[in-house]
Amino acid sequence: MRRTRTGWLLLAPSMIILFVVGIVPFIYVLYVGFFDWNLFSASREMTFNGVNNYRQLVFDPLFLDAIWVTIRFTFFAVVSQLIIGFFLAQLLLRDFPGKSFFRTIHTVPLMIAPIAIGAIWRLLTIPGFGPIPYLLDRWFDFEFNIGNNATQAFLAIVIMDIWHWTPFVTLTMLAGLSALPAEPREAAQVDGANSWQIFRFITLPQMQPVVLTVLFIRIMDGLRTVDEINMLTNGGGPGTSTRTIGIHIFRVVFPQTDYGYGSAMSLLTLYLTIVACWFLFVSLTAVRKR
Amino acid sequence: MKKLSLLLIVIAVLLSGLSIVSAQDDMGIDSAWWQAAGAPYAGTVLHGVTESTPPSNYVKDVLAPMFQEMTGIQVDLETTSWDQMYDKAIRDMEAGSGIYDFVYIEQDIIYGYLANNYLVDMTQALSENPDLAAPGFSFDDFTSFLNYFKNADGDVFGMPMEAFVKVYLYRTDLFENADNQAAFEAEYGYPLAPATTHQQYTDIAKFFTEYGEANDMDLWGTTVQAASGHPSSFYEFFESVAPTFGVYNWGINMENWKATVENGGEMNSDAAKEALAWWLGNLQYAPPESTSSTWDEVAASFAAGRAAQGLVYGENAAWIATDPERSTVVGNVGVALPPLSDGVLAAAEAGDGYIGYYDGGAFGLPVSSQNVEATLLWLQFVGLPQVQEEWAATSSRIVMDSTYSTPMVVEVDAATNGYFSLMKDEGYLFAGAPPFPFHPQVREVVAPFIYQAIGGELTAAEALDQAAAAADAELVSLGYGS
Amino acid sequence: MKINTRKVLSYAFTYVVWIIVTIVTILPVYWMFVISARSRVELFNAPNLIISSFYTQNYTNVIYDRTFQSYMMNSVIVSTGNAVLVTALALLATYALSRYDLVGKDNIFFTTLTQRMAPPAAFLLPLFLLYTQVFAFGEGRARWDLYDTQIGLILLYCVFNLPFAIWLLKGIIDGIPVELDEAAYVDGATTSMVIRRIILPLAAPGLAVTLILSWVFAWNEYLLAATLTNFNARTITTGLAEFVTVTGTNWGEMAAVAMLTLVPSLIVVAFAQRYLVAGLTFGAVKN
Repeated sequence: MRRTRTGWLLLAPSMIILFVVGIVPFIYVLYVGFFDWNLFSASREMTFNGVNNYRQLVFDPLFLDAIWVTIRFTFFAVVSQLIIGFFLAQLLLRDFPGKSFFRTIHTVPLMIAPIAIGAIWRLLTIPGFGPIPYLLDRWFDFEFNIGNNATQAFLAIVIMDIWHWTPFVTLTMLAGLSALPAEPREAAQVDGANSWQIFRFITLPQMQPVVLTVLFIRIMDGLRTVDEINMLTNGGGPGTSTRTIGIHIFRVVFPQTDYGYGSAMSLLTLYLTIVACWFLFVSLTAVRKR
Repeated sequence: MKKLSLLLIVIAVLLSGLSIVSAQDDMGIDSAWWQAAGAPYAGTVLHGVTESTPPSNYVKDVLAPMFQEMTGIQVDLETTSWDQMYDKAIRDMEAGSGIYDFVYIEQDIIYGYLANNYLVDMTQALSENPDLAAPGFSFDDFTSFLNYFKNADGDVFGMPMEAFVKVYLYRTDLFENADNQAAFEAEYGYPLAPATTHQQYTDIAKFFTEYGEANDMDLWGTTVQAASGHPSSFYEFFESVAPTFGVYNWGINMENWKATVENGGEMNSDAAKEALAWWLGNLQYAPPESTSSTWDEVAASFAAGRAAQGLVYGENAAWIATDPERSTVVGNVGVALPPLSDGVLAAAEAGDGYIGYYDGGAFGLPVSSQNVEATLLWLQFVGLPQVQEEWAATSSRIVMDSTYSTPMVVEVDAATNGYFSLMKDEGYLFAGAPPFPFHPQVREVVAPFIYQAIGGELTAAEALDQAAAAADAELVSLGYGS
Repeated sequence: MKINTRKVLSYAFTYVVWIIVTIVTILPVYWMFVISARSRVELFNAPNLIISSFYTQNYTNVIYDRTFQSYMMNSVIVSTGNAVLVTALALLATYALSRYDLVGKDNIFFTTLTQRMAPPAAFLLPLFLLYTQVFAFGEGRARWDLYDTQIGLILLYCVFNLPFAIWLLKGIIDGIPVELDEAAYVDGATTSMVIRRIILPLAAPGLAVTLILSWVFAWNEYLLAATLTNFNARTITTGLAEFVTVTGTNWGEMAAVAMLTLVPSLIVVAFAQRYLVAGLTFGAVKN
């Protein structure tokens, strides 16, 4: 290993920027989280109230509800993306005419701004306007209305996320699969293993670090999804069925101008996210060292 | 058409500015005074933030260039979404960063801004700087809407720039059709006409929904602004529906800041519950997009001919009735007062209540502004009677009594079957939002219960009981009442 | 012959799957295109996927709009600036994390990642204060601050792009044999020479991916840009939100802007397809 001073120097610019635009605001939020501070309250003052905000959060049904919505949303979306992405990546391993065309088209959703994605899916699903409810009604006499059916609205945001992010999973899985050493697979083939056995006992274990990595990235980003859901369901409706924690914090901090409580909420959410991701990170490190 | 006419207006204005001063004298603006008054501030750039609406766009596209031509003061107006507008204005004024020299103040937020001392007292500022007081400008020209922007001493803190009433729009072609009238009377035993009671409103909604079904048309009985996750549904209920049942000020007792009946409020009173149940009941006669409809989509549904009647913000009345580029019901739009419970009209006439929402906004001058003098000039310019006519005709907003009788406005009034007349004659029956310094705070707490009622998770009674309790708790935590 | 039938079937299967995936992927975008080709009144008709007439005004209205042009320009500058900065910084940082024995290396790495996890809403106030009051110099008209500047956004986007870039590059640089560096050092090369002559060419595919993805993420960001800019540095995504108004969302023009926004990203991706796959390993696979 080389002189560590040079190492620190190389790392410094990144760390300084991240400190200034990342850690400094974080410290501010941490500080404000211990205060009772609403711009439009009678007193308007910042009053220190210790951990009261946090104590209140644990019993706040709207907060807990939003966390639960977010967890369910992330779970269904990410699991589906993993399965579909893995499957599609397998199909892309082999060469076939038109492969790069299909792959390029597949990456299109990845390139669209989340806020535009929300707009697209709103245009697709608004009753009286969008083709999805229209055709479902026409062909199957099925009433699809994300405005008053909580289950359908939830389904819509999950499908939108799958549409948006599966390409990323496919590409990452494909990168992983293409980099796998071929020998174990060939050896197993020689030994007469069928393709399911090869997949189950050779490819899957080899792919474990890739799967964990993708899981990590998707969970990390999925938990903070705001723009597209906000656009699609107009702020988390019906009721609070698609009000993810990101949207909820947004509403508490902005229209409600409850900075103290909103900051505490942010930090608690961040903490929960970090804990979840830390477990994944540790297992990832462990798997990779094996 | 509208785009084109706007473009022509801009060109005309620019040309008139270029050619000779006399062109402006036609409008009666003393351009020599403006030029002299603006000279010390020439080159200054004023920044403002507002919601992206037709009145604001008119300010940006027409008035700002006109003002710059005369005074040399440049005006940049940021037009953005409703959420963003509030967020940015409040953050700037709170931090005192001085980014904005003028901000849009919706009537419902003014009390919060006044309580926080965000705004410059314009009356005082103008009397302290008499050389800035423009000839032809007077606060007396404004309608009584101006009163919403005054403090207790009568000083003005906002230059009104738009005002509308939320009215009852109906389709004249459907209502005046002889077959429909006969069929309706046969079924309900009274003639078909714009509803004056809630029962009539529901009957009409039901009638036209069935009519649409029978004739395989995309037609329903009524619009409902019931976006199930967006504050617009909260507003339609508390500002436009509850008052027609005699529940005012969101059901919050202004004496002790309480919402629940047991504490002296009315938010969960029987009348409020009846109102919510009635409103939710209308959903079955409304187009399927209603539960996704915010303010703009309600207007769009009506303009698409998908509803026979509805409560629609007045700012949409003109384009729905006149703009064939955007509306399929041009020429078929009638306006009326909303349906009311017994005694509500009498109470409103006596000044003890109101029948709907008088909506609008003003430009305010933040104390953090670095260009107070130049901004005072600009805001007076926006408040000149001479610039009002076209502004009113293109974006259906009126803030001065004198504007009602201008030719362009009279024309639009005829096309809408009397929207402006109704606003002029009956406007006093409507009222702005209650003077709460905590407007969005309580709204955000109450709204989720309304959303859940729309989604059918809660009944009307449950929703309002829970909402009132939550409002009481939030008000205490904000320091109002105890 | 049996094997051949199987092969044909498996090809057929692959094609069927990919045709379905392609249709599902394209239809929503196509629908947006359809919307962008219709006037407001036409939108009221029953949904129809066929474009019978093209209402070009949605496009011309925005293309010839000066505001729109400056939004587009800002977006190009901000995302390109950010992508280049992020890639350069990440290259240095990753080289350090990969080759030097720094105390608490793993923790540094994870901490940078946590920056990406924060729910953004509550962080907007401190960022606003930071940009308007801390990084503010001068008074009156000579006043300059980071608020509403392109450089402000470029720096800010590092918060979510840098951690991602470091992670992406970490695997790539770890995969370059240390022996190559060592040999160069023995020959008297400096650190900067090693990074330029050895790491840079070998990590090229990874750097390309980092550049592209950072660019795309910056191009698409909405909330921070909406909050921290107002006149001079507004980006195109913030422009999208302006079409949502109380008197009718102008879906046609909004869709037109969204389509125009998509074009640069698509061009970038079409050219960089190859790297995209090669570079996305996140170090998860040992080469």
